[in-house]
Amino acid sequence: MDIKIGWLYPKLMSTYGDRGNVICIEKRCQWRDINVTIIPLDQNANTDQFREVDIIVGGGAQDRQQELVMRDLKGAKADVFKEIIENGIPGVFTCGSPQLLGHYYEPALGQKIEGLGILDLVSKHPGINAPRCIGNVVFELTASPLAEDIKFMIGEKPMVIGFENHGGRTYLQSVQPLGKVIKGYGNNGEDGWEGAFYQNAIATYAHGPLLPKNPFIADWLIQKALQNKYQDTVSLAKIDDSLVIQARESLLKKLAIDS
Amino acid sequence: MKKTVNCVIDYIYWESEIVSEKMELLQRLRLGLAVAIAKVVTGVVRGLKIGAGSVLPGEIASRLYPGLLSLLSRQIKQGIILVVGTNGKTTTSLLLCTILENQGYKVIHNETGANLINGLITTFLSASNLVGKINADYAILEVDENVLPLVLKDCFPRYILGLNLFRDQLDRYGEVDTISHRWENAINTLGESTTIILNGDDPTLCYLGQRLPNKVLFFGLNERNLYLEEIPHAVDSIYCPKCGHSLDYEGVYLSHLGDYNCPSCDFTKSNLDINSSEWPQILIGVYNKYNTLAAGLLALDIGINKDVIYETVKEFKAAFGRAEELTIDGKHIRILLSKNPVGMNETIRAVNDIKAQGKSSTTLMILNDRIPDGTDVSWIWDVDTENLVSLGGNIIVSGDRTFDMALRLRYSQDKITEGDSYFNLIIEPDLSKAIKTALEKTSTQETLHIVPTYSAMLEVRQILTGKAIN
Repeated sequence: MDIKIGWLYPKLMSTYGDRGNVICIEKRCQWRDINVTIIPLDQNANTDQFREVDIIVGGGAQDRQQELVMRDLKGAKADVFKEIIENGIPGVFTCGSPQLLGHYYEPALGQKIEGLGILDLVSKHPGINAPRCIGNVVFELTASPLAEDIKFMIGEKPMVIGFENHGGRTYLQSVQPLGKVIKGYGNNGEDGWEGAFYQNAIATYAHGPLLPKNPFIADWLIQKALQNKYQDTVSLAKIDDSLVIQARESLLKKLAIDS
Repeated sequence: MKKTVNCVIDYIYWESEIVSEKMELLQRLRLGLAVAIAKVVTGVVRGLKIGAGSVLPGEIASRLYPGLLSLLSRQIKQGIILVVGTNGKTTTSLLLCTILENQGYKVIHNETGANLINGLITTFLSASNLVGKINADYAILEVDENVLPLVLKDCFPRYILGLNLFRDQLDRYGEVDTISHRWENAINTLGESTTIILNGDDPTLCYLGQRLPNKVLFFGLNERNLYLEEIPHAVDSIYCPKCGHSLDYEGVYLSHLGDYNCPSCDFTKSNLDINSSEWPQILIGVYNKYNTLAAGLLALDIGINKDVIYETVKEFKAAFGRAEELTIDGKHIRILLSKNPVGMNETIRAVNDIKAQGKSSTTLMILNDRIPDGTDVSWIWDVDTENLVSLGGNIIVSGDRTFDMALRLRYSQDKITEGDSYFNLIIEPDLSKAIKTALEKTSTQETLHIVPTYSAMLEVRQILTGKAIN
């Protein structure tokens, strides 16, 4: 078996160790003898490369980099990107990239930035003097069928641990939230929701990076990708995750949350 | 008590505005009062052993007298040298300080790494007498990159030395571009008599230097044999600071520092004012070559004899935790503070050089997530730890986020099963036990490398030497 990971603008969109998400999927495949190819979906990529990926990963960008991405990701490229998400290609988009996938982002200063409109959500910055949402974040996955799938995989309610650092606030419209905040701000610090889930695309402010600390999400993405590709149910070999279990326990203890 | 003092001082200040001829006397009075109180506070802080008193006295004195930094700093005879940059401030300042002292100058220096405004004031205060008079030729001040514009409101430096701009602690600060623009605006208010010394290998700083009307000198490397094989992942500004196009690199020495030009606009690298291949270096690692050249070029411009500089470079002893060497129980230890991806990548490169010679087999990595370290530890995923595990040996992990570091190392190898592991991973959250194990694994012919974040470095030194720094 083999998997092609499409990595959105690796040089432009990789702010808080986001490449850890790519490394996590890559290693969890290699450790199971699944071949992995990483395809950079950057300025040099064309629509064919977008069409051949089995999983798509996007991270956060600083303002100037985000501008460069938006200048490149439009027209035919944007259409194909939208099409593969609609077709159920699994994807994970962290940090600033949910803002990119929504309808628009209103920064503190300057003009409204149009998004790709794939997710039915909008993001706004409440003003330069508003504090950023910074800190450890913990949320329970609630999105369907993702939450049910993962609960079936791991046998308990799936808690996601990450770190958030965002100035903008995201407001969901018809799209499903990804989870319910237990600790931290989440999308906007007001409504108690974190992230969004649409088709098989996961969008969240949580970095950390997200997948190494929450490997069940990585495994879910891999499983979805293989099932899409080979049109058959796939069961993944078990991996010794004792280190991540200890990393999670020690952080939950520090944050005084019962796991 | 503080309130009463404030009232008295405000009254004096108000008076001074009316009676201008008495101004200087009153200013001195106010200065003396602020200094005296700050000195009492320093005494109390040290007496009660609640710290070295490196920040609090400055805080109190500057509240008593907001113009304090300006008045104190004006007394330095030959001038103030500000050292800014993401990595290397402490080591470069210490080297420069030693060179100037070896030339016979009296130098003051914020050596505890207190690089925000209050730390700078405390540095001046501790060098002053009871009425606030300072007797010094030079003041070398390492300044936090975000605080530079604020410092330039009160301090008029003879030199500003800009080392590099890497992505560091984004949870506190903005982007590299933003910081460089703020530096430019602040430097422009100074006038042209301040000399600016910048790293010409850093495109952002090179472009900054090209736009300043001041005298600007550039240091950098011209040793192509030191080029990295590829640009590391933890790199920010590979985009032209002028037009935003991708820069073409002939080679990189470290992170985004290297030989570059823009294929799209007229931006090219400025000529360097120093020939690095002729120079000896302090300590180990390419980053310390940069620190050497930075201090060396500035000292040459002041007019220090090259022999004095070379001699100081050869004799140089590290600042605490910065490639500092210790011997404990007959075992040689080197502590390599690493607080961001670029710093840790360079540490790994230096450690691997020594491992490849068979002179080191054990490394202790300590990851903390306290305020001085940054509370977000995700940056370790931007470090190429694959290079660290590739040469095998024992890697011991410890600190507040022991398991996060362990996980990063696990994901640095292609196989997961025990027998296939390239290296021996030892997990020990208890730092004293981790150090003990690391020493046991190190033979007397080898060097133990300890790679801590900032607060972890202070803890390590406390355990190893039995005394605290702060």
